[in-house]
Amino acid sequence: MAQINLPENSQVKKGKYFKDKTGSKNLRKVNIYRWDPSTEENPRIDTYEVDMNNCPSKVLDILNKIKNEIDPTVTYRRSCAHGVCGSCAMNMGGKNGLACTTPHEEIDGDIDIYPLPHLKVKKDLIGDLDGLYKQYQSIEPWLKSKSDSTTKEIIQSKEDRAKLDGAYECIMCACCSTSCPSYWWNGDKYLGPAVLLQAYRWIVDSRDEERQARLKKVADELKLYRCHTILNCTSACPKGLNPAKAIAEIKKMLATANI
Amino acid sequence: MENKSPLSPHIQIYRWHISSLVSISHRITGIINIVVITLICLWASLLLLGESKYEEINLLLNSLVGKFIILSITWSFSFQLLSEIRHLIMDLGYGFELKTTKITGLIVIIGSIILTVVFYLIGKNFI
Repeated sequence: MAQINLPENSQVKKGKYFKDKTGSKNLRKVNIYRWDPSTEENPRIDTYEVDMNNCPSKVLDILNKIKNEIDPTVTYRRSCAHGVCGSCAMNMGGKNGLACTTPHEEIDGDIDIYPLPHLKVKKDLIGDLDGLYKQYQSIEPWLKSKSDSTTKEIIQSKEDRAKLDGAYECIMCACCSTSCPSYWWNGDKYLGPAVLLQAYRWIVDSRDEERQARLKKVADELKLYRCHTILNCTSACPKGLNPAKAIAEIKKMLATANI
Repeated sequence: MENKSPLSPHIQIYRWHISSLVSISHRITGIINIVVITLICLWASLLLLGESKYEEINLLLNSLVGKFIILSITWSFSFQLLSEIRHLIMDLGYGFELKTTKITGLIVIIGSIILTVVFYLIGKNFI
């Protein structure tokens, strides 16, 4: 059963306030979720006043600025800063996205930054994605071909290749899965949009020879049918993909195929 | 160490949008409708106990509170009807583009209010 309230040790408390020291007139308040695993304390929200005159356009730039100039203890994942690696996925202004591609101008009022929702927090903005990776492994995301000739090229028509568009671009940032209420309540059993989009990607791949087995494997009340088309996933995807549609396509295949 | 980790905030902080609102309302109205249908059946069964019991409920339903309840029920049914049609279209694999979901969601919300008024007027004037 879904637990709506946060557990006792996860209740967010008010944290420190970092006043601006630059004397800038163009300030914005940034509220960041903080949790330090080395203490027994509850998570807290620290507030930073950030000088926007000397800050580039993305949320990640704000975080870097805070880390470099105000508080070096702020912890978050980042790498490419170009929306390719998926490291800096977090919840900004109430919506999941990549900090490196989300302009802070799009967020009204104070900028609230939280880790991806409903994850075990490792530190500050870093959530534990182990469960999701295990689920990803469970769909066996690699080409399965029974043919003996592993040295020969497997030909794919342009039409068949086009079926992978909108699925192969996924960078597994987990923005979609952690935005999904169904995944919040049943994340241990429901595969979630990210993994189901990948399941779909292998089901429709013309070179894969285990389509039937793959379909059978996801055809499960909890694994697949917990999707109730809330569409938080599609609206969160920073790559503009549509996991909800992919899930609907899998359901459609299962409804029409005789397996 | 592992158990000490807090759970990051979820429904407390996630912003609502039209599709998520329609989805949760669909569930809530679904539950309300089941309860209401049961009550309507019970109301009909009251006929067996004779006119006086039936009159009592009739009086209640014609009061201000009763009218509010009837309007709410009508809305709940209208919403469920339109939202279910939206879900059926989605089950066929259509209408998943963000813009389309927004539009169909708005149609469901606004349409349910219009349908409520229409149903109420039909019920009041013709039945």
